[in-house]
Amino acid sequence: MNEEYTRLDRMRYTKNTTSSRLAILAIVFDVLFFISLYKSDVGNYYYTILIGASIIYNLVFLLATFLASEGVKNYQRSYSWLLLALGCGQIIRIFIYPVQAHQAVVSGAQVMGDGQFIRMIIYLALSAVCLIASGVINWQKSKALTAHIASLEAANA
Amino acid sequence: MAELQLQHLDKIYDNNVQAVYDFNLDVKDGELIVLVGPSGCGKSTTLRMVAGLEDISRGHLLLDGKDITQAPAKDRDMAMVFQNYALYGHMTIYENMAFSLTLRKEDPNVIHKKVLAAAEILDLTAQLNKKPSQLSGGQRQRVAMGRAIVRNPKVFLFDEPLSNLDAKLRSATRREILLLHKRLNATILYVTHDQTEALTLADRIVCMSMGHVQQIGTPLELYDRPNNIFVATFIGLPPMNMFDTVFEEGVLKGKGFQVPLSDEQKALLAPYQHKKITLGVRPEDIAEGGELRIKVSTNENLGMNTLVHGAMGDGNHITAKLRGWSEYKLNDLVPIHFTRMHFFDPETTNAIRKEAE
Repeated sequence: MNEEYTRLDRMRYTKNTTSSRLAILAIVFDVLFFISLYKSDVGNYYYTILIGASIIYNLVFLLATFLASEGVKNYQRSYSWLLLALGCGQIIRIFIYPVQAHQAVVSGAQVMGDGQFIRMIIYLALSAVCLIASGVINWQKSKALTAHIASLEAANA
Repeated sequence: MAELQLQHLDKIYDNNVQAVYDFNLDVKDGELIVLVGPSGCGKSTTLRMVAGLEDISRGHLLLDGKDITQAPAKDRDMAMVFQNYALYGHMTIYENMAFSLTLRKEDPNVIHKKVLAAAEILDLTAQLNKKPSQLSGGQRQRVAMGRAIVRNPKVFLFDEPLSNLDAKLRSATRREILLLHKRLNATILYVTHDQTEALTLADRIVCMSMGHVQQIGTPLELYDRPNNIFVATFIGLPPMNMFDTVFEEGVLKGKGFQVPLSDEQKALLAPYQHKKITLGVRPEDIAEGGELRIKVSTNENLGMNTLVHGAMGDGNHITAKLRGWSEYKLNDLVPIHFTRMHFFDPETTNAIRKEAE
């Protein structure tokens, strides 16, 4: 057994903890994002359908990302696509709430300060990076594992 | 190389209860030593002292000549297999077996090779992705052994590993332990209260009672030449029959029976003229025919043998293991004779035999 073969063979019995932990980390950054968002309250700026949609999306995001974190543990490739989609979603979200709120002024007061704006962008960006990295790593590992198992089966046949 | 020396080990608990008295044993490299005795005799305490799970009150423990009496358990290079398996239920078999090496931060590729090698030895390769709850008791015990094997310790310690298994599985797992011992040539200390395990597995047996070592020897030595009444009755199934007798006029006189002796036996017992002697006879050393009689109370057919329980003379309880299939009824009188006898001094309980023995 050479080192590369052993590394691949090890995946047959070990979980993809790297991808799984990255997905969980993405959840953590998302939580930091929405805590930062929901504590804002300037006039009635946030009382729109957009904040309702944001809350619902957050719930869906948490559920989907958690499921994906469990799925990638077992090298299930389909969850890579879900993670990539969720990562892209986090990038898109940057241009909805932080950007729109940062530009908005209510009764002469700025809705979102620069500090909060930058923090929220960082949280969403980090969340997106974790999700995309998790998806890519899982895709690569599952592809390698599938090939390795196929070669083992061919050798045993 | 793994030679273990237990020198004058004592275990005294904080409440001044002494569990082990002056335990001495030299375990040779590759030897399988079985500590056997009834519950509470101190065998598990001794094993736990060796493992480092109990403090040694007095005495010294040496591994390959190095004193490890005060060394913590993790530094003793010993692996212990417990009765209850002690597997992590949330981990797969692979993860359970790899766990100790992962804690030591060994290279994952090295861990993988060791786990696969151990799984191959124990025929667990197909189970590596399963959880312990998905395995049978025997397989779980093999996993526990696998976890010990991957560490490649100097000494394996087994604490009643088969007690949770049913009789059939116990027999199969016992054979696996024996094969494992031969394959790894490992030094093993094995604790059990089951004398069958002791007799079948051990290179040498340490028989214990009330914290004291009663006899150390090969299985045959303990069976054939027990040092005292305790060892004689503990080793062997059914246990040895014991009769209170008096040596008079060249015969052993018991309650309602007399046993004739050979010249050699008479010479051996000569110093005990008119004194009490405990006569020991193994059930398998009783054969049909002769002047003695068993008044049958129960009859158990085992296939090749028949166990006959009853009374001899004036109510002396006796069990005989007679060859073949017999159908004795209640109160039948079965003629028997003894093919081999053991003699014990009832005061000291020690065996009476020639000095050369």
